[in-house]
Amino acid sequence: MWERTLQDLIRGLRANKKDESQFIAKAVDEIRKEIKGDDMELKAGAVLKLTYLDMLGYDMKWASFHVVEVMSSPRFHLKSVGYLAAVQSFDQETDVLMLTTNLLKKDLTSTPADISVTLNGLSHIVTPDLGRDLSSELMTMLTHSRAHIRKRAILALYKVMDTYPEALAPGVARLREKLDDPDPGVVASTVNVLCELARKRPEDYLILAPQLFHLLQTSSNNWMLIKIIKLFGSLSPHEPRLVKKLQPPITELISTTPAISLLYECVHTCIIGGMLQGSSGDSLARLCVSKLAAFIQDTDQNLKYIALLALVKIVPTHPHLVAEYQDTILASVNDHDMSIRMRALDLVSAMVTSHNIQSIVQQILSHLVADSSTTALPTAAQSLAQQANSPTISTPHISPTQSPAYRLVLSQRILHICSQSLYENITNFEWYLSVLVDLAHIANVDVGAQIRDQLVDVVGRVKGVRRYAVKLMYTLLCDDTILHNAREEGSCSEVLWAAAWICGEYCSELAEPQKLLPYLLQSQIAILHPEIIAVYIQTISKIFGSWAAEVAERWDDEDMVEVKSTVDLIINGIKVFTGNADVEVQERAANTLQLFNFIQADLNGYKPLPPNNPFAEASSSFDPVGSAEPRFPKSLYLIQPLHSAYELNPVALLAQASVPVPEGLDLDVWFVAPPPEPAAKPELKTPKSSKGKGKEVNGSKSKSKKKQKESDANGVVVLTPVVDEEPEDHEARERRLAERRERLRDDPYYIIDDRSASTSRQATHDDIDSIPVVHLDDMPSMSSIDDSHLPTLRAEAVPSHHVAYTIDRDGEMPAGAVSPQPTSTREGSHTSTRATTPALTGSSTPSYVSSFPQYDVPDADVRTSTPEPIKVTRTKKKTKKRTQDSSALVESTS
Amino acid sequence: MIHAVLICKTPFLELGGVVVEGPTVNTSGVARLSKFYTPLHQSAQTLIPKIFSLVCSRPASLCNFLDAPELEAFLGPKGDEDERWRIVYRSYATLYFVFVVDGAESELGILDLIQVFVESLDRAFENVCELDLVFQFDEVHHVLAELIQGGLVLETNVDEIGNSVQLASKLRKESFTAANPLSLGTGVGGAGSRGSNLKSPLGWLTGKITGGRAM
Repeated sequence: MWERTLQDLIRGLRANKKDESQFIAKAVDEIRKEIKGDDMELKAGAVLKLTYLDMLGYDMKWASFHVVEVMSSPRFHLKSVGYLAAVQSFDQETDVLMLTTNLLKKDLTSTPADISVTLNGLSHIVTPDLGRDLSSELMTMLTHSRAHIRKRAILALYKVMDTYPEALAPGVARLREKLDDPDPGVVASTVNVLCELARKRPEDYLILAPQLFHLLQTSSNNWMLIKIIKLFGSLSPHEPRLVKKLQPPITELISTTPAISLLYECVHTCIIGGMLQGSSGDSLARLCVSKLAAFIQDTDQNLKYIALLALVKIVPTHPHLVAEYQDTILASVNDHDMSIRMRALDLVSAMVTSHNIQSIVQQILSHLVADSSTTALPTAAQSLAQQANSPTISTPHISPTQSPAYRLVLSQRILHICSQSLYENITNFEWYLSVLVDLAHIANVDVGAQIRDQLVDVVGRVKGVRRYAVKLMYTLLCDDTILHNAREEGSCSEVLWAAAWICGEYCSELAEPQKLLPYLLQSQIAILHPEIIAVYIQTISKIFGSWAAEVAERWDDEDMVEVKSTVDLIINGIKVFTGNADVEVQERAANTLQLFNFIQADLNGYKPLPPNNPFAEASSSFDPVGSAEPRFPKSLYLIQPLHSAYELNPVALLAQASVPVPEGLDLDVWFVAPPPEPAAKPELKTPKSSKGKGKEVNGSKSKSKKKQKESDANGVVVLTPVVDEEPEDHEARERRLAERRERLRDDPYYIIDDRSASTSRQATHDDIDSIPVVHLDDMPSMSSIDDSHLPTLRAEAVPSHHVAYTIDRDGEMPAGAVSPQPTSTREGSHTSTRATTPALTGSSTPSYVSSFPQYDVPDADVRTSTPEPIKVTRTKKKTKKRTQDSSALVESTS
Repeated sequence: MIHAVLICKTPFLELGGVVVEGPTVNTSGVARLSKFYTPLHQSAQTLIPKIFSLVCSRPASLCNFLDAPELEAFLGPKGDEDERWRIVYRSYATLYFVFVVDGAESELGILDLIQVFVESLDRAFENVCELDLVFQFDEVHHVLAELIQGGLVLETNVDEIGNSVQLASKLRKESFTAANPLSLGTGVGGAGSRGSNLKSPLGWLTGKITGGRAM
């Protein structure tokens, strides 16, 4: 009698809390011995103990065969242990389930007790195979003499139909009969199953409506009535006549039933079943909302919760009815119960209109403010102190507003409310920008990236707010609270990205942009994320460019001192970042530094012209190029054209897709036919072909590459013109290729293919030597020579600008955006037609051609006196992808 | 349908007068029963302790629906309101009964169902106390099986459930005594557990004392 029973095991566990794992390891060892023995009682005992341990998280998959053994015991008390273990531990992947088919079949013809245990077990462990093999047995069980068995069979049938869909059609036919079963429990189970089924494919069960309707009118079982009402909620959206038929009985139930759960389900079904439309629906809607409002004001928190749940669903159709209870609902956002707060937040965001958005957002903001910004500035020490203080607040539990997850939800909710449908509800964007800045300060959770995207998006879309935005961002950059905390969690330092970017892009709004430079150059910015530093560097150069151009325009030799000191400041500040660990920062810093070194040299070499030359003055203000020698240092105009040639515009969602495919470009044709010999490595193809013929940008590139992989060699060689591939790309590719070659050489698995590989490698060499290097060296002349190819060459980039420009000319925003400009709607429609009919614009070459000169125009526009050194190259500035809106900003500078 | 039924014990009350022993003490509630009707995903495995800790930290005055920002990620897609899981719970003395259900179930209905479950347990164990659930977890499963099968409600009438539970337990007892004619209630293997009903008042009283100390 030394074997432990389950009770002994549990007692032992409770006595050995300290070294539980050790105790369990010992127990499992015993179980392993017991489970292998011949004594069925012992085996079952071991299985039961394992089942208990399984609940505590200890795996028992290894014993599944023994579980089946116990299941097959003829003794009922052992059999039920077996089935319990199976139900708890088996899943679809359990292999021994295959062995159970006959066992289950046998048990289904055994005593009622066995059948009932088996049906229960089957509902859990059913697999498609078991469903197939046992569905006929189940069907016969539906007519068993005992109601208990019939109920179980019905529920088991549902699980079988769920896993083995072929059983569905015959099963539903049988279920229909069961709706008339004499036993109310069986009918209830049937309704239960139908309710589940109808949620998946409601239209298939409309045919049952009359029977269900009859039950609705005759039954008094609240459980079943709830299910029937739910079932009708799924059905009625698919059958308008049902709505009319259901309205009277449901209205009656709502007014008479004492059961709140049933009342609530009726109200809920009215809402989701579309019964509130039309004239008769309106009074019903009023009734529903009044009932729900009573729930909200009830002291029972549960009723409050479900009322909020239902009101969220009624808001879209009857906002005015819900609006009557706005105060109560807003109060619920302050409820001490987190569950209720969450639902109230849902409801509140659904209720937002342009009239109440400010008060609602203000209220949500106040939740964030309450204990973060007033009691503690977001510094490490203080937030620690704040955490330490929190328990002393009267509530014993952590205040919900301190939970980061909740703060995140609140912050995201604010952003969502404001930005939904492209700022549909926002009438005052200055207010929104200040909300965003406030949020960045008080959120104390990680929403900085979202705030940043919102800031950039709003400023890009709403021209009218730019001036204010620049002012706001200027103060943000000067205020070093965020900068100081940038390293901390939830500091939202990403808004500095937006602040710097906005100040740089729209620095023309600033009267004295150079005043911002010291803030951008302070040494603390080194702690920011490299991405932000990169934008800072870019902003510095933008601001200087704009300011320098301005200075040059009203040049006075006395300005020289300030300009020189500013340049010195920038050079000293940026020098630090040329050694930055981040490649992006390093590269930008180095580029910018070189430009400023050039400017510095130019400034040092500058000699003021004699002031008594009236022509010089005149020419400098009008046409510096025409004049022989401008009065100001020429390099002052170096930077500005790099940044300001184009304005940023929101691009329609389909803009990229509507870029026309240039004539003569066949995306389905090989650039280079694949090598004929099959021995060549497939990996070698891709680099070779793309190397040889340059790359295509954007969609066409991936498409053609895919095509290359999919289709067989068709032998047609079409040489498309070489696209100016960036040197880094080229070098990187070459390096990769060399590396691969090296690898293959060392890889023993490639020895066999060495000869054929070497020949193809040879071919690769030829390609490299012959084509790209030459083209790269010759780049400028190439483009001038291959003038006919030029459109194809820039095809990917140019048309996108073209589309962006169209949008810009007509107005700032695509369809749906709220804009202070009255032209915006016209603009939006224009954009959308363009976007939806890409073929129209796409096929017309003229439109494409016309875009090309546009692109180059700014070169002429720039008032530069030194055209040669300021060779304007097209640079792609880093643009943030903004997926949340239907369009993104695309920036181009030349 | 019902996706899971969980019973957990609140960690706070258990400590009574007993000293907490080191950091290994589980603060997230102790599982007394867990039953899943749909296969669990990995995320759900972490969901359970989270539910326990959240449920246990809610004062009694709050509503019986657990809806916390921490759970947003686990409860399913935000837009699909009906497929989202809802967590309905109810506390009885030291125990929390937690049901995880979806939109096909009525929230208030489930609250009633929990009550039915507890009443059925009360009948089956004659004044159920926590230790009954601890030591006879198989019996609890059998009661639950008369209430819910495969995630669907089988029966809601307490009398009906009581009868079925009694019948099944009588059959198990008979089968056991037929197999072990000399047994006095404590089975040879653990399978004889239901026989422990015989030692009832004294049995669970001693169990209670030792159990209380052990905690």
